[in-house]
Amino acid sequence: MTAIDTYLHAIVVRAVREAREDASATVEAQHLLLGIADEPEATVREVLTSAGLDHRALREALGREFEHSLQTVGVSAAAHRLPRPSPACEQPKLGASAKLAMERGFASVSRKRDLRPAHLLLGVLQAQLGTVPRALALAGVDQAALLAQLRQELETTRDGGVARARGAAG
Amino acid sequence: MPGPENSAENPALQEPADALAAVAALRRLADQLEDAAVEQAMRAGWSWPQVAEALGVTRQAVHKKHAKRLIAAGVTLRRRGDDRD
Repeated sequence: MTAIDTYLHAIVVRAVREAREDASATVEAQHLLLGIADEPEATVREVLTSAGLDHRALREALGREFEHSLQTVGVSAAAHRLPRPSPACEQPKLGASAKLAMERGFASVSRKRDLRPAHLLLGVLQAQLGTVPRALALAGVDQAALLAQLRQELETTRDGGVARARGAAG
Repeated sequence: MPGPENSAENPALQEPADALAAVAALRRLADQLEDAAVEQAMRAGWSWPQVAEALGVTRQAVHKKHAKRLIAAGVTLRRRGDDRD
């Protein structure tokens, strides 16, 4: 198992937990992003922190996006007073937006061994439509600038041995 | 803010992105509401056929979607022919 398999596994496990938290039958790009937000990799940390995006801030932004999208058709999520349902037993499956984010992340490197968690973040941030870009916009985050910063960080650390230091080249 | 009474004049919905995001959010809300409402009904002693008829779906569909979760949650489910009405 290569280092990225280990990272990827840890991120996906966290994303699945986030999907369950949302009672979602599928793991979507926003769950992947939440999973990435808890990632200790330096590049990921630096880029997300610079935009004030930790796990909690992302959850708040996603909650606001949900409320905001419902409000455009005059609906409030708080309108029903039913108790929170028991969690599903089935493991949430990888949804379309998460698959797309992963494909974009994988496509950003020519060799799999170069792949790092930051490339997954790159894949998530490349989306111009959907829940993640809407949530970031509502949180006042300049997604294009964040993406540019991430690309630059990846470029400067590409040959810096960050991946090798973590044993990814092995 | 424009008059909220006429949705055709609601500028928010003139943006396709807003309308499409509303669809995604409504689906998510409907799923959450269904999970909560079915659980509440079954805890209150409703039968699968009753819940299915109220939802406008088949008994098999509602059973397949919710039975495992409710059994795991320890909800006592009514068996067929168990008439307590």
